[in-house]
Amino acid sequence: MPYHEFECSKCIPERKQHAVIKGPGEQLTDALPQGYLNTIPGTISERGCAYCGAKHVIGTPMKDVIHLSHGPVGCTYDTWQTKRYLSDNDNFQLKYTFASDMKEKHVVFGAEGMLKQNIIEAFKAFPHIKRMTIYQTCATALIGDDLHAVAQEVMDELPDVDIFVCNSPGFRGPSQSGGHHTICIAWFKEKVGTFEPVREGEYIINYVGEYNIQGDQYIMEDFFERMGITVNSTFTGNGSYDDLRAMHRAHLNVLECARSSEYLCNELRVKYGIPRLDIDGFGFKPLGDSLKKVALFFGIEDRAQKIIDEETARWQPELDWYKARLQDKKVCLWPGGSKLWHWAHCIHEEMGVKVVSVYTKFGHQGDMEKGIARVEEGALAIDDPNELEGLEAMETLQPDIIFTGKRPGEVAKKIRVPYLNAHGYHNGPWKGWEGWVRFARDIYNAIYSPMHKLSKLDISKDEIPTTIGFETQRMLSDVNLSDEIKNNKELREYTGKWDCTRDLIKKPAPRSDEPQLAIAA
Amino acid sequence: MFCELKEKSRVGTINPIFTCQPCGAQFASIGIRDSIGIVHGGQGCVMFVRLLISQHLKESFELASSSVHEEGAVFGATRRVEEAVDVLLMRYPHVRVVPIISTCSTEIIGDDIDGVCNKLNEGLLKEKYADREVHLIPIHTPSFIGSMISGYDLAVRDFVKFFARKGEPNGKINLITGWVNPADVTAMKHLLAEMQVDATVLFEIEAFDAPLMPEGNHVAHGDTTVEDLIGTANAVGTIALNRYEGMKAAKYLENEFGVPAIIGPTPIGIRNTDTFLAHLKALTGKPIPQSLVEERGRAIDAITDVAHMFLADKKVAIFGAPDLVIGLAQFCLDMEMRPVLLLLGDDNSSYGDDPRIKELQEHVDFDMEIITNADLWELDRRLKDGMELDLILGHSKGRFVSIDNKVPMLRVGFPTYDRAGMFRHPVLGYAGATWLAEQIANTIFTDMEYKGIREWSLNVW
Repeated sequence: MPYHEFECSKCIPERKQHAVIKGPGEQLTDALPQGYLNTIPGTISERGCAYCGAKHVIGTPMKDVIHLSHGPVGCTYDTWQTKRYLSDNDNFQLKYTFASDMKEKHVVFGAEGMLKQNIIEAFKAFPHIKRMTIYQTCATALIGDDLHAVAQEVMDELPDVDIFVCNSPGFRGPSQSGGHHTICIAWFKEKVGTFEPVREGEYIINYVGEYNIQGDQYIMEDFFERMGITVNSTFTGNGSYDDLRAMHRAHLNVLECARSSEYLCNELRVKYGIPRLDIDGFGFKPLGDSLKKVALFFGIEDRAQKIIDEETARWQPELDWYKARLQDKKVCLWPGGSKLWHWAHCIHEEMGVKVVSVYTKFGHQGDMEKGIARVEEGALAIDDPNELEGLEAMETLQPDIIFTGKRPGEVAKKIRVPYLNAHGYHNGPWKGWEGWVRFARDIYNAIYSPMHKLSKLDISKDEIPTTIGFETQRMLSDVNLSDEIKNNKELREYTGKWDCTRDLIKKPAPRSDEPQLAIAA
Repeated sequence: MFCELKEKSRVGTINPIFTCQPCGAQFASIGIRDSIGIVHGGQGCVMFVRLLISQHLKESFELASSSVHEEGAVFGATRRVEEAVDVLLMRYPHVRVVPIISTCSTEIIGDDIDGVCNKLNEGLLKEKYADREVHLIPIHTPSFIGSMISGYDLAVRDFVKFFARKGEPNGKINLITGWVNPADVTAMKHLLAEMQVDATVLFEIEAFDAPLMPEGNHVAHGDTTVEDLIGTANAVGTIALNRYEGMKAAKYLENEFGVPAIIGPTPIGIRNTDTFLAHLKALTGKPIPQSLVEERGRAIDAITDVAHMFLADKKVAIFGAPDLVIGLAQFCLDMEMRPVLLLLGDDNSSYGDDPRIKELQEHVDFDMEIITNADLWELDRRLKDGMELDLILGHSKGRFVSIDNKVPMLRVGFPTYDRAGMFRHPVLGYAGATWLAEQIANTIFTDMEYKGIREWSLNVW
């Protein structure tokens, strides 16, 4: 597995260790790109900070919580309304964000007093919300404000509120991943085990590392419920603060995004003996296998099989319609972390596309290990990519589409590569059988966009086709398809609704008892 | 007195209207050709600002980070700036201008970015880049002072201060637009062209609306050059359209080089555009041509079509950049509307000295509140408490205030990511006045139809 040296990065030789090409017959042990090392300054890396990893990625999807950032206003503003994590309580966590709005005088004289005022004001503004998370930022970390002390003072004065403090300033670690780690450990240490009782059920799980992007969590919770499994808490998409304090009462932790929250599962295993089961919610086979694994744990395999059979029968003809039209399309799979290994193999096997490159902004070597193991030969794997390397890779690999973030997507657009939003999705959810078909549809629509084809025509040089009034995606995708596929009556395009989760959104199941505060260990 | 100017009474911020200073400096720095800024701080300070700008303009802009990690925060991180400058210059051979933009963290730990620039000028740049013209410009934008607005203002001042050099008079005027959209620059350049006035525009950002080309990588970029900035010292005069986004630079040129400065009023609406032309005429002696009389006439014609039938007495709340908010309020008054609530999102203590605010306090004859250091909760809470409004003018971060309280909102300012192509339409000049009046009317029309309020009246008008 030879290291790949980018032309644009020859002048920074340490970058050479951050990209590899998976050669034929090679073992993972031959070479892995370096991962999770300090960023080289000035490279125009795509990494974010540990504050956003804690607050924006993991903390804020929690739905019934006032999310207050202690610092200047920018950290709060900048991480607000840039993601699509939904909830069944009218998206409170998307709509409202709170900044203590630290000013110069607070830097000089301390900001603990104004933080306390802030907390009280916020609870007063939203009297129905009794839970809060406070996030430290660079500025308040550096002046040494004691957030815990302030939070405790308020909790002593207002006995019906509960406050969680996360000390994860932006500079903590090489990327947002530092924040994922910090908030997981902090939540475990400070909040897990402080709330009883849990929801009743024969089979109780925590669903961990699921952020309910465009409704993914609704889909998965529905599967679990159909199997008779109670989801005690979801960490953290559509998750409730008090449910998450009761994580210690589940029988099993089902872990989706291991990158961001395996830390929490590991701690729960050590202290409470709750096993960790890693799953993939994406892709027909990986999802089916995952449900079977969960079912196997509880001895209810037949229930998983029933869902798999029903869902497969319903959606396979639609997935296959797209698969036939996406054969060998080249994909750069460039997400933030875990999706590189969640998707690498199953978009190839189930949609027919060819993954020519994977990258991760904040993943560790373990993510690369999983991703490279699952990706095809010849793929280029890049750790902590930067702007020029991304451009060079796209120019070399000539992908038909890339899956990445919103802003890098704009870079791709300008070199006529269609993009799909790997973080927030285009028309999600993309989990579940139906979601996977929706993903395939988004890929199809992007690749076969008539406008995409028009974008490549140079009217000053090329011959302009003057007799065509329009083209449809189908006219473009089916031009080289065999009649057998074109006329196949079994296959069909996506037939679901535009908003496919609306019917799944329901009020959370009631807890078995009135909530009572437990005495923290 | 009907019009009250007061500061928000809460200490904290619920749903902020502005982000912090480094964002303003970053937005200014992308207006300069061959410029890539290095933001000295945590990586989020760049990554999210780049995302924000790309949300608004649907383009990506290059901005780098010094990537301060924990050891930098503890032991000092100036070394990270040195490394960032070297890496950036090696890999981007066209770069001439490198603003070094500080943040809260690096200001608190006391990193000396001026000293680093001096050190690099004497060391690295002489040794390794001797044949290359590179300008390192330290810009201090601690996030705990001011807002993105003041960050923009002082970055423009710092660029002008760094480059402006006295030479031969160039006969041009300096037009400092403030934080505007590409279409606003187009609208203002159109007025200048009609007046036959040659101008240096800070900043030339029309190319922020970049095409998707069949070949090559046509990235969005600013077009103001180093030479443009040098020449600002030799202009006939400076017009800063905005008081809070450009006045510092205009005043600097006046004090340092005797270039007369005219500040505002922001040319939103007919009257303020008239004033802008009067200022141009006074500075250059050029007459206002017939073509502009006609253009103005077309705008007034369009506004007359909607004003007293649909806009009169409509209650409006406006939030966002202070010059935009005040300019829109003035224009709303001229269109017979009632701007009852203005929200200015930072704690600038000089708002009370603004002649436009004084004029509002003196002459407004209905109840009007102007809140400084405001957040969006000031608006949201009032609506939940029963305030009646017909329209909101503001940016996309306030979208849920509009959606949840069922008050229609026309997206104006920065950012407007939840509507397509807003940056392609001007709010300045006569063109902007026409667009604003008609979009305000259309926004109200859609609301009438959606709610079934007098929707039949649109059958004939």
